[in-house]
Amino acid sequence: MPTRRTLLAATTAAAASPALAACGEQAGAARMTRQAHRAPGERVNLVFWTWVPLQKAVALWNKLHPDIHVTVQTVPANTSGGYQKMHASLKAGDPPDLAQVEYYALPEFMLVRGLTDLTAYGADRLKKHYVDWQWQQGVFAGRTYAIPQGSGPMGFFYRADLYDNWDLEVPRTWDEFRQAARKIKKRSGGESFVTAFPPVNAQWFASFPWQRGAHWVRTEGDTWIVDLTDEKTRQVADFWDGMVRDKLVAPLQDSQSSFFKGLQTGQLAGWLGAQWQDALLRGNAPGTKGRWRVAELPQWERGEHASANWGGSATAILQGTRHPAQALKFAHWLNTDLRSIELLVAAGYGWPSAELELAGSPLDKPDPFFGGQVYNEVFRTSDRNVDTSWRFAPTTTQSYAHIQDNIGRAVAGHGTLQQALADAQGMFVDDLQAKGLDARSAR
Amino acid sequence: MTTSGTDTGPPRPTGTPPTGAPPAGRGGAGPARRRRSARPDRKAWTFLAPFLAVYLFAMILPIGYAVHQSLLKVERSGPLGLGEPSVAFAGLDNYALALEQTAFLESFGRVLLFGAVQVPVMLLLALVLALLLDQVKDRWAGLLRATYFLPYGVPGVIATLLWGFLYVPGISPVTDLLGKLDVQPDFLGYDNVLWSIANIVVWEFTGYNMLVIVAQLKSIPEELYEAARIDGAGPWETALRIKLPLVRPALVLTCVFSIIGTMQLFAEPLVLKRLAPAVTSDYTPNLSAYFDAFGNANVHLAAAKSVLLAAVAMVLSFTFLSLVNRKRRDGR
Repeated sequence: MPTRRTLLAATTAAAASPALAACGEQAGAARMTRQAHRAPGERVNLVFWTWVPLQKAVALWNKLHPDIHVTVQTVPANTSGGYQKMHASLKAGDPPDLAQVEYYALPEFMLVRGLTDLTAYGADRLKKHYVDWQWQQGVFAGRTYAIPQGSGPMGFFYRADLYDNWDLEVPRTWDEFRQAARKIKKRSGGESFVTAFPPVNAQWFASFPWQRGAHWVRTEGDTWIVDLTDEKTRQVADFWDGMVRDKLVAPLQDSQSSFFKGLQTGQLAGWLGAQWQDALLRGNAPGTKGRWRVAELPQWERGEHASANWGGSATAILQGTRHPAQALKFAHWLNTDLRSIELLVAAGYGWPSAELELAGSPLDKPDPFFGGQVYNEVFRTSDRNVDTSWRFAPTTTQSYAHIQDNIGRAVAGHGTLQQALADAQGMFVDDLQAKGLDARSAR
Repeated sequence: MTTSGTDTGPPRPTGTPPTGAPPAGRGGAGPARRRRSARPDRKAWTFLAPFLAVYLFAMILPIGYAVHQSLLKVERSGPLGLGEPSVAFAGLDNYALALEQTAFLESFGRVLLFGAVQVPVMLLLALVLALLLDQVKDRWAGLLRATYFLPYGVPGVIATLLWGFLYVPGISPVTDLLGKLDVQPDFLGYDNVLWSIANIVVWEFTGYNMLVIVAQLKSIPEELYEAARIDGAGPWETALRIKLPLVRPALVLTCVFSIIGTMQLFAEPLVLKRLAPAVTSDYTPNLSAYFDAFGNANVHLAAAKSVLLAAVAMVLSFTFLSLVNRKRRDGR
């Protein structure tokens, strides 16, 4: 418990602070990357923090490259603790060499100087091996800071057997989607839902305005502009408001036990999800094998193929490593070598960032879980139609947390989604300004 | 029942009161004054040194560092502010920013409400358990005491995970059973989750607080009970008029600890956050500071929030203590 003495010390420290401010304090990462001298034949050890189950690919690398050994250390996924740990390690000057960083989080890591400038180590000549928009996620001011790994084009997973039972067509537009939702609820006796609506998942929710053509974040000069209240976003919010209010969707948080139970029992007759969730379905609802199919996202205008992306991450080389050249070599191999991609695809890591022909690639297979459908053809169409001009602000973690806090409150019956987003817009701008950035609302 | 003792107030011990009472007379005798010399001598410092070293290293330095950090800010330059950042003196900017955030201010309201309900409930429960245990024969008392104390040995994170399983609908046997009775409890809903957290905290800490009170009860001299018996006090009177006033210091202590603990509520909401949308990232002041520091990599704002939290906890603790002390002085 604080005492008078503590108080005294605190006051003294406070008084001394201005004098100390200038010395010894660094913004962001405490240690900068430097290439260590390496004796011939000396083995380099790299540490890789990730939550993606890519141990098999790494084991293959270690077998093929005895001189550069990579150790995978599993950390909690992204904001559940992984990024917190990375930020703390950067601040402490003791980071791992490599880390899993999602595209939306790259600007935040840039803001703390947490990423190694890979252009200095010759990354730019690797560019041609990657899908351009994914590569661009790691490019800031013309220099490359991360090697892309995979993205998450959106699609509509649905239970073909249940749709047959209920004599339903797969919805092609959002209007049809709403009608299908009504019929499913009616014909299942209220037991089933067209999809889950996770109350707190801003990344998932964002994919719908993204598909509609909204841009939540853009820049003008050096100013960040936040726009959660444009007409397109409001239209999307209105649509989901109606779905939630009429109880046409199950308010289950994705990737939680009750969600998986819903997938197993048919409570969820479908799920609007990203390509990488194929593995989650397979792994968590094995009893429904053969009954799932994949269709494109429902459209706002019939006949369109508009799509969006949810998720996607890069292999980042964190600031402070002593082996940037070796780490870069590994990151490039991991994400472009066909043997590695095959293992990663099996692990469900997403849509490859490597420039591949679908035909003949590990993705081009009829899948028994999806009743023999070559479901990745759907995701290829989706991937090609993603609006790649969507941007992420350098406060996405925090600002999306505000957005989903607000959405969660609205889903629980306190206000509308439109209002939730309008409130979040102000918080979003505050977050950016708190970081010392120029920012304003679009309206 | 005789009334001789009861209507003249609680029986008072004839010796010194159990809690530090002022010396009977002012000025005292010469030798006594020399013994109470205000300045500790060299030997005293030697004995104090290990404590002071740890105290300096583990308390004063971190607090000073936090205050120092809270007065700094990062200045950005270059295109879109993504250029080389530098650290500059910020004055009280971070404090102003923290106080402008309504969600942060609301989190104080939330923990205060939480404390106002949870602390009395927990301490009352602890007191009742302690008094009951005092009545039980020794052989059972040890076993029961250990049982009640057991939850304190379970780390808060694990406790929350365990309770989480009991709260989540579809998984929890409790909601299943209640569902069969046509009650649909929503333990994790917006209006309920705070009390679900309170329930976890009560489960965790009642045993601990009970033990503190039990220890105080054990120190009550047997003569007092004898005197009370002679005066004709039954178990109820003994509990209310002897035990209760004499465990007061323990109650004050546990209450102060609980107030500080409440202000620092962290692990339980953090773990429950994954299950309950209602637990926002600004749910408690500590969560807010944590997400600023590590989710948002803004240690300076987080430091300011931590210092504010410490200040509020300190003010609350001292206010409580001075209220209690004044009451006691007035009571004399």
